[in-house]
Amino acid sequence: MQPLLTLTSVSKSFGDLQALDRVDLDINAGEVVGLVGSNGAGKTTLLRLMAGVYTPTSGTVLLADGNPVTKMRQALGVVPESTGLYSRLTAWENIRYHSRMHGISDKDAWARTAKFAQHLDMVDSLGRHTKGFSRGMRQKTALLRALAHGPSILLLDEPTAGLDITSARTVRRLVHQLKNEGGTVIYSTHQLAEAEQVCDRIVIVHNGEVRADGSPEELLKSTNSTSLEDAYVALTKDTARQRQEDDEKEGRFTGMWRSFFTPKPPATPALEVNEDE
Amino acid sequence: MSELTTYRIKAIAKKELVEFVRDWRTIMAIIVIPLLMFPLLFILFPVLLESEAAELDALELTVIVQTDLMEPSLEQAIHNVSIQIVYEELPNLTVLSEPGEDLDRVRNLSVDAVLRFEQDNSTWNYAILHLSTSERSNEAWNRLLDALSTWESEEVERRIVDSGLDVNTTLDPLRWDGDVSQSDVATSGEQAGMLLSLFIPLVLAIWTYSSALQPSIDMTAGERERGTLEALLCLPCTRMELLLGKWVAVATITGVGVVLQICGLLFAIGYLASSSVIGLPELSVLTVALIVAAILLFAIMVVAIELALAMRSHSVKEAGSILAPMLLLIVFPALFTQVINLDGIESFWFAIPVVNILLALRELLMNRVIAEHILIWAGTSIVYAALAAYYASRQFNREDIVTSLS
Repeated sequence: MQPLLTLTSVSKSFGDLQALDRVDLDINAGEVVGLVGSNGAGKTTLLRLMAGVYTPTSGTVLLADGNPVTKMRQALGVVPESTGLYSRLTAWENIRYHSRMHGISDKDAWARTAKFAQHLDMVDSLGRHTKGFSRGMRQKTALLRALAHGPSILLLDEPTAGLDITSARTVRRLVHQLKNEGGTVIYSTHQLAEAEQVCDRIVIVHNGEVRADGSPEELLKSTNSTSLEDAYVALTKDTARQRQEDDEKEGRFTGMWRSFFTPKPPATPALEVNEDE
Repeated sequence: MSELTTYRIKAIAKKELVEFVRDWRTIMAIIVIPLLMFPLLFILFPVLLESEAAELDALELTVIVQTDLMEPSLEQAIHNVSIQIVYEELPNLTVLSEPGEDLDRVRNLSVDAVLRFEQDNSTWNYAILHLSTSERSNEAWNRLLDALSTWESEEVERRIVDSGLDVNTTLDPLRWDGDVSQSDVATSGEQAGMLLSLFIPLVLAIWTYSSALQPSIDMTAGERERGTLEALLCLPCTRMELLLGKWVAVATITGVGVVLQICGLLFAIGYLASSSVIGLPELSVLTVALIVAAILLFAIMVVAIELALAMRSHSVKEAGSILAPMLLLIVFPALFTQVINLDGIESFWFAIPVVNILLALRELLMNRVIAEHILIWAGTSIVYAALAAYYASRQFNREDIVTSLS
């Protein structure tokens, strides 16, 4: 069967930083794929490449019809980590705005939104401005927005981060429902337990590389581990790199100016060495 | 442009405008203040000045007059300007302006002013000691000068009569015959155009830039900072559609702001002149069309530059720090073009960015349609607007516009 999305030898670098290195990945229809990794591993970069926000430095990201994702963004529904809601618009206006960009009629968008809003218990909140929304409600609205145009692939960047237990559970349940309806979901998280619970397949990303790709059972078997946590540790033994905030990539003069006005931290006291040891 | 592209651009612009309208503070800053600024400045400010002047007129002032011989007619003239006189002997000084022992009492305002006055054969010498930083003392100085001037005129007339001459023919041997305004062959429409050409280009330039500032920043660096841009970049719209949608929104807001400010300015001028001094400028349809084209080209350039620079910025603060001082790049040329003489102006002026449009507006408001100038400012403005739009599109296509959200 032809994969819905194919990443072939995809690399992405930002200046000197190699964010992703020769990633090969196939996303098949009806799969829920979990991207698991620590902060700075490259999960968000990978998702942004799949969403067509980034262009690969080398390699290709192609849809099943051979088109690059940038040509067929209608196929994608994306929930970025920041949710990206306009606070002066209502939840429905946020959803409608994105649907219009996808070329979907308001009527069709409303029909799909109303269906999923019931599952997420959001029907009464659709007419409210999102300014006062809790993190959970924002996340649910972003999910509704991503689903309103009927995408074939849903990309979720840490959709349960910062959510309370009930909201996180509701989000996971929706993913289950989408899977049961034949939907394809790519789900980024750094919680292994959640990935195990939600995903058919787990892709472990570490320091910009794909370290493992398979079902939870396959990961346990390949690492001779008894738990996914042990398997993860075995696959990511080398030190995780620090997350490189792009804000920090500033001009040389800006950097010098800022450091001039930044006091140095207090010196760490020298450890006393016990000579008897 | 495809139907879907147009639809998306409209959707982006509409969403931006809806968000803009829902923030009353922005409405105040960009719609209400421009509308009220000139009426308040031109109508309320003179009222305040009048009330301040009336307050000064009502002041009871006391002045020390130091003289050995006071002219009764001068004493009357000083009384006529509502000043109480206290006489003292003239101190022994080298020159009358020297404060001497009166320094302290004038400085501590125990007297409002000191008038020193002495006769020197057929002339008089005088000096007024006052404290220029005190309103009371200044008022006393002004009233004393008025009284002295009146008395001097009477003295001059008296001397002319004593010499057997006619006062009017001696003092005013050269006279204008008839009504001065009658002799100006410019029509009232041309005069109005001349007057408006001094205000409108300046207002247009400064307000186009400053009213586009806040929405440009909000729709670019603001989106980046709030984390809404990433979701937007995942949509099927192209970056060019995004730029155009935002440009339409900013240009609409700016256009409304500028039009309202000009309305406020015209209302204020009309009110001050009781709608009789200033009429409507006499402009042909072609001239009006050219004015609209000039404003449009200027707005395309300014809004595109602001959107581009704001999009380059990582935050609202950074964008503000870059764009606010850049207002000077508009203000200086705008002030500069006010003093350029349009008669026999060299053509190269119409090729300089910003200056070209401002000069074009001045010429057009004066109903001067000069083909050579039009070709130069239109051509160069199209080039500048295109360059600005190209630069903006490059900024919108930068990959790192999303990365600061990480």
